[in-house]
Amino acid sequence: MQQFLSPRTLCLRVAVTAVMLVAVMLLCALVGPERISLRTALAGINGSALPNPDYEILVHIRVPRVVLAAIVGAALAAAGVALQALLRNPLADPYILGISSGAGLGATLAIVGGFSWTLWGRSPVAVFAFAGALGTVWLVWVIGRITGKFHVTGLLLAGVVVNAFFSAVIMFLISMARGQQLHATMFWLMGNMAEEDFFVLWIGAGCVMAGVVSLYFLAPQLNAISFNPVDARSMGIHVERVQLLVFIVSAFVTAIAVSLSGLVGFVGLVVPHAVRLMLGPDHRQLLPIASICGAMFLVVADTAARVIVAPAQLPVGVVTAIVGGPFFLVLLVRYNRKVSWLR
Amino acid sequence: MTTSVQVQNVSFAYHRGQPVLEDITFSAEAGKFLALVGPNGVGKSTLINLIAGSLVPQSGTIFIDGGNIQSCRPRQLAHKIAIVRQGSVPVFGFTVAEVVLMARTMHYGPLGFESEIDRRRVAEALEMTATAEFASRPLASLSGGERQRVFIARALAQDTPILLMDEPTTFLDLRHQVAIYDLLKTIQIDKARTIIAITQDVNLAAQYCDQALLLRSLRPAPAPILSSDATQDRRQYRIGPASEVLTAAHFQEIFGVDGFSGRIGRESFFIPLGRMAKDAARKAGR
Repeated sequence: MQQFLSPRTLCLRVAVTAVMLVAVMLLCALVGPERISLRTALAGINGSALPNPDYEILVHIRVPRVVLAAIVGAALAAAGVALQALLRNPLADPYILGISSGAGLGATLAIVGGFSWTLWGRSPVAVFAFAGALGTVWLVWVIGRITGKFHVTGLLLAGVVVNAFFSAVIMFLISMARGQQLHATMFWLMGNMAEEDFFVLWIGAGCVMAGVVSLYFLAPQLNAISFNPVDARSMGIHVERVQLLVFIVSAFVTAIAVSLSGLVGFVGLVVPHAVRLMLGPDHRQLLPIASICGAMFLVVADTAARVIVAPAQLPVGVVTAIVGGPFFLVLLVRYNRKVSWLR
Repeated sequence: MTTSVQVQNVSFAYHRGQPVLEDITFSAEAGKFLALVGPNGVGKSTLINLIAGSLVPQSGTIFIDGGNIQSCRPRQLAHKIAIVRQGSVPVFGFTVAEVVLMARTMHYGPLGFESEIDRRRVAEALEMTATAEFASRPLASLSGGERQRVFIARALAQDTPILLMDEPTTFLDLRHQVAIYDLLKTIQIDKARTIIAITQDVNLAAQYCDQALLLRSLRPAPAPILSSDATQDRRQYRIGPASEVLTAAHFQEIFGVDGFSGRIGRESFFIPLGRMAKDAARKAGR
């Protein structure tokens, strides 16, 4: 009888989903408004003197975009898993603690302010969003800590309050904005991908990988804490320290995702749930697999966003919400049936 | 007799509140079963949480195997004491085996996986509590009695010399109550564990426990706990062998409830009798 997750099973499952992710990314990179052929594009690697538009499109437009979607999807799914466990609330998502509104406020300020400088190649919007996200999370943590031990409810309430307040400020700024700014703000708030250069992608990918790996090492403790933090402490787990670490890492990873792509909704809620329903709640498995599946989901969703109304583009957040909502409902119905059948 | 848990002059009050426990001193002998009895809200759970290190006393000291628990880190304490608290509701669908395995988290290797020893401890705990048959079912699909056995299995898997129980038989029917006490007694004897259990069932406590601690509320004016016994006056508690502490006179005093009491063979019993009970008048008439 298979009672426990063995390291071999875990490695196998992670490897299989990773291979699937690479396949999906390759496939999606070949799809787009401009028809390209893989064979022609591959010929361009050798650097022949002839101009090779297929190679240019694939390497400089499609691949960065697909990689960006994968990074953002993995970050959001991992943060979703971690925060659902930390808050012991299956409705939690990466934005629940006010990150979305803080980042949104930063981005809106940058757009309305019309700045033109760059920082390490990043636009003011991205920089402001990142700073806004981390600043808000810090604020929520401070407010939450005032309210008591293990401050889970306090954190949630602080997140709700801060979210509401900052959203009001965002609405105020939007109502003051002019036409072009308004469009940019709306797109950002709905989650929007753009073609980034490889330097930014490397940094983003490195940070998100580091985040997911460090969350993995907290996964066994997270199992016990998500079950019951008081019992976890009696079982020798340093609960406060684990909670703080998980909180910091997931906030950091979410802030990176948000500064890369705006507010892409639903990935951080739907993907952790879907994977948990299929493979169970053991975070040692849930965390890596949900990250990979989150990457896959967002790569596909972003490809749809590029293709559906080509040559125009949809904000990817619209696609994730439209696909994610019904998908989530189907999962819930199936899950409930399974549970009642067990009883 | 070696002492396992030693509580010395412990007083406790919740955050700017009235004192809950005042100057409690007792010791639990190693390998014995101690029952903690008293009215609701009197501080039994508080006392258990103090011993488990989840709360810190305002004054006084608690020793486990001679070591002061305040100088212990959670991890060191978790090697000595396991606790079963009252029903926690799981949010995520962990299976029975996964729940029991959580007790071994602090022993995991660097990659976050359990060793062969951890698995053996879990298997033994499941075996002993007769929960092995539903090891791969989600905890939420079990009945109350089964779930309680799983939590006891988890405490067992933690492999500590001391087990604390907060009302292990609440909400269970008669058969399951007896089954839990049989299980605890087996653990005490076969595994040589010290058990401290809060219980509301004074009759089961009398049948199974070696020692008993009777706790009285501090709220109503600090009247003498037992008017008949001058030496025990003014103290919040009474500790001793179960047969001496769990008596009808003490129950009447502490719970303020009248009742029938008696003894059949080696077992003593107490049946509470309210004012409106059928035989209340006859009892009063005698």
